[in-house]
Amino acid sequence: MSEITLSGLEKRYGDTLAVEDVSVTIDDGELLCLLGPSGSGKSTTLRMLAGLETPTDGEIHIGDEDVTDRPAYERTTATVFQDWALFPHKTVLENVAFGLKMQGTGKDERRERAKEMLERVRMGEYADDDPMNLSGGQKQRVALARALAVNPDVLLLDEPLSNLDKRLSEDMQIELREIHEELEETFVHVTHDQDEAFTLADRIGIMADGSLVQVGEPNEVYENPKNRFIEAFLGDTNFVAGEVERTTAESVHVETELGREVVLPRTGDADDADALTEGESVALSLRPEVLSIEPADAATSDGESDRTQPVRTDGDTTNAVVGTVENVLYRGSTIRYSVAVEDTSVFVERTVADSGAFDAGDEIRISWDGADVLAFRDDGSRVDL
Amino acid sequence: MHREQFENALFRAGYLAILVFMLLPLAVVVVTSFAESGNLAFPPESYSLVHYRAFFEQTRWLSAFDNSLLVGVGTTIVATTLGVTAAFGHEIDDGRAGQVLAPLVLVPLLIPPIILGISMRVYFVRAGLEASYLSIVLAHTLWATPLVYFVMRSVFSRFDWQLLDAAKDLGAGPIRSFVYAVLPNVKHGIFVGALLAFIISLQEFVMALFLSSRSTETIPVVAWTQIRQSLDPMVSVVSTFLIVISLIAIVIATIATNLDWLSKQLS
Amino acid sequence: MSGTHSSSALPAPIARLWESLRERSRSKRALLLMAPLLVFELLLFVAPFLILLRISLTDGSQDLRYAPGTWSISGYGEVFTTDVLLNAITYSIKLGLLATAITVVIATFYAYAIWRSEGLVKSALLFSVILPLLTTLVIKTYAFMPLLSPNGTLNDVLLSLNLISEPIQFVPGTVGVVVGQVYIVLPYAVLAIYSVLATMDWGIVEAARDLGASRPRSVLEVVVPQAMPGIIVATVISFAWSVGAYAAPGLLGDGQNKARAFALVVEEQLLTNLQWEVATAYAVVMLLLMVVSIVLLTATLNYFGGEFEYA
Repeated sequence: MSEITLSGLEKRYGDTLAVEDVSVTIDDGELLCLLGPSGSGKSTTLRMLAGLETPTDGEIHIGDEDVTDRPAYERTTATVFQDWALFPHKTVLENVAFGLKMQGTGKDERRERAKEMLERVRMGEYADDDPMNLSGGQKQRVALARALAVNPDVLLLDEPLSNLDKRLSEDMQIELREIHEELEETFVHVTHDQDEAFTLADRIGIMADGSLVQVGEPNEVYENPKNRFIEAFLGDTNFVAGEVERTTAESVHVETELGREVVLPRTGDADDADALTEGESVALSLRPEVLSIEPADAATSDGESDRTQPVRTDGDTTNAVVGTVENVLYRGSTIRYSVAVEDTSVFVERTVADSGAFDAGDEIRISWDGADVLAFRDDGSRVDL
Repeated sequence: MHREQFENALFRAGYLAILVFMLLPLAVVVVTSFAESGNLAFPPESYSLVHYRAFFEQTRWLSAFDNSLLVGVGTTIVATTLGVTAAFGHEIDDGRAGQVLAPLVLVPLLIPPIILGISMRVYFVRAGLEASYLSIVLAHTLWATPLVYFVMRSVFSRFDWQLLDAAKDLGAGPIRSFVYAVLPNVKHGIFVGALLAFIISLQEFVMALFLSSRSTETIPVVAWTQIRQSLDPMVSVVSTFLIVISLIAIVIATIATNLDWLSKQLS
Repeated sequence: MSGTHSSSALPAPIARLWESLRERSRSKRALLLMAPLLVFELLLFVAPFLILLRISLTDGSQDLRYAPGTWSISGYGEVFTTDVLLNAITYSIKLGLLATAITVVIATFYAYAIWRSEGLVKSALLFSVILPLLTTLVIKTYAFMPLLSPNGTLNDVLLSLNLISEPIQFVPGTVGVVVGQVYIVLPYAVLAIYSVLATMDWGIVEAARDLGASRPRSVLEVVVPQAMPGIIVATVISFAWSVGAYAAPGLLGDGQNKARAFALVVEEQLLTNLQWEVATAYAVVMLLLMVVSIVLLTATLNYFGGEFEYA
């Protein structure tokens, strides 16, 4: 049983607060990714889990045991370090056997065990090599084998893939995922790379400024971010500033810098207390994947006067604007268009496979369903509609 | 083009002249130790090993050798222990203590040994340690520790401290993690530091002169008193031994690290 | 949550104390490791100095080396009214300035040569610095006696080349003292400057030449300012050790009244005249003069560029 509970975890260095009030329960056998930009406190949190830092406040339980003040060498965790931290004066095999040696395992047994671990990460033939002569990916495997060799209850991974090139890192993500499924152990993986987190995680914990902002399954976090920071951090989006013009029982109407009113349907989640009031300023997030585009002339059958506003029945929350393509950016499989709309600029994407490409200067019509738009208050908090 | 060649020649002549100036005096010492006559002259008229033979018959020199060895080993142990632990502590936390420590250990190196010698002599007389081996060891430690300390600071600053974390994480306690993860990677640095401490003690003479008695005098002290009485190639013999010891130390240190690194540590 | 799990059961002040200790647990461990050396420095360096200072402020004594418990500035009075003592200070400071000037110029050139050389030459040059560095002062000064004495090697050579008609007495004499002292401090000065140069990028010298600086000019304009921290360290070391020089003046000097170094006079006061209050006061005065000179020297050099850094 190796469920991990962090409660009210805090770490201070002098006057700086590195980690603030982190509380989360990690289930047995779960792979949790702590995702956040550098300096967000994710590595410090992991180091406290490992016992390499002592929390200033709060508690850590592994299983039923309080391990808050227990040093690293008395914990059943094992860490894969960012730079892998292989002992340069020991062979690959000796590195992997080190933890077992510390546990007092006999020489033959620990060598056998270490060999087994090396085989598992496909590094068996390098057993007698000097770890300094290995490539990054190989070092990574050895570091993984070394951590797994002690049969830890919890495996902690501190950005272990950040020093690998993109392709290698992606291969390793899949392998890590497989090893996790095979071992059914609890993994805590720290990364600043959202793709890595989405690939690996059962659940993602997003950290910012020392706090754990949101924990949830990848799609939940992505689709239902708690605040503006997460929305911005998880992939690219357009934030459009606006002001609430009027609210009805079914929808909220926001006057935006796009020069048009944007209509958001109400979902009924909002309490009366935190409902939007008229005149309040909000930021709307328009993710490129919810925006559809087409040539502007294809949709102007309604005439000049109202060419950007389609005829709309009550409850219909389709929104559209027309803008001019300013910039075309080829990004491999996708093309990104930067589109000038009124005083602001919005980017949209389409895949290369989609038919029809636009050039700079083309007028295009951008439309979206208001239900796909998220709104945030000035303080960054998400608006329940 | 002509001017460049001239400049090059001048430059080369300049540093070669200094090279000669640096090594000639030592060469003189070594060569005169093989002189046959009792007069100190360079180059000697004829060569023999007569002074070497005489050296091994003089108890004063031999006991001075023992004293130097004893003081040197004592200094090495104390200075290395103090220097390595302090540098390790400083590396763990660069707090106020470290900010005080770095200049504090450095200052004695900048104070003329004569003044240190006086202050220590006065001090040890009061402490009742006058003319003891301990007093010389402690005085030499004052000079040797900064070198060990700064060598180790430089070694520790290049050490990857994640290795210590990794060892702890894999179950090694504070002592075992230091022994298994840190020590093997810094042992060359410690060795060079210790070697320097020994050489410094072996060669130091002003403080030793003020702090030793006839029974605790070290080699440089005996050499000094001998020279002041009369010029005797015997001193050249002893000097040759000391030079050879330094030479061996440099070779060993160079093998353990490299000459360039060693040079930067000594400054 | 208020307080940690481990302190929640304790009374508030103790809990706070525990808290601050825990926060400093890392520093505490570091402090514990640094403590032995700190204590050592306090006991073997700071304490002896305070005692030296205290003895310099005692009254003279006929039957003891000093009179414990008394307060007097007679030791300092003696220092400032005795010609022998004042002359020695003047001589030592002159010696310090002269030896330092020569040393720093040679050291800068030699360090530059080491920096520019490669392979075997570089090793040979470095070796020529390290070997004397690790050789005792006694040998370093002694070696000049057969070389520079009136019937020594240099005079023989000069005589046989008919450059001089009579032997010159370099040793014993001030020329010998300066040469010997330069030889003693030169290795330290070279390494202090070399260690700074070694971190420098040769590209900036090439850039200077590309911009039209002649070779000597490029060194003066680019290398010297960059090496200034090392040059300052070299100056401080050379000056401090030359002012306090004992071996070179003792062995190579002629010991005449106006050419006696401070170190020899203070030794005599301490060991022969047994006037501890005078000897200690004398040492304190010299040390203060040294500190003032070093501050002035570094300020001057800093004025020409470079910042003082500890080696």
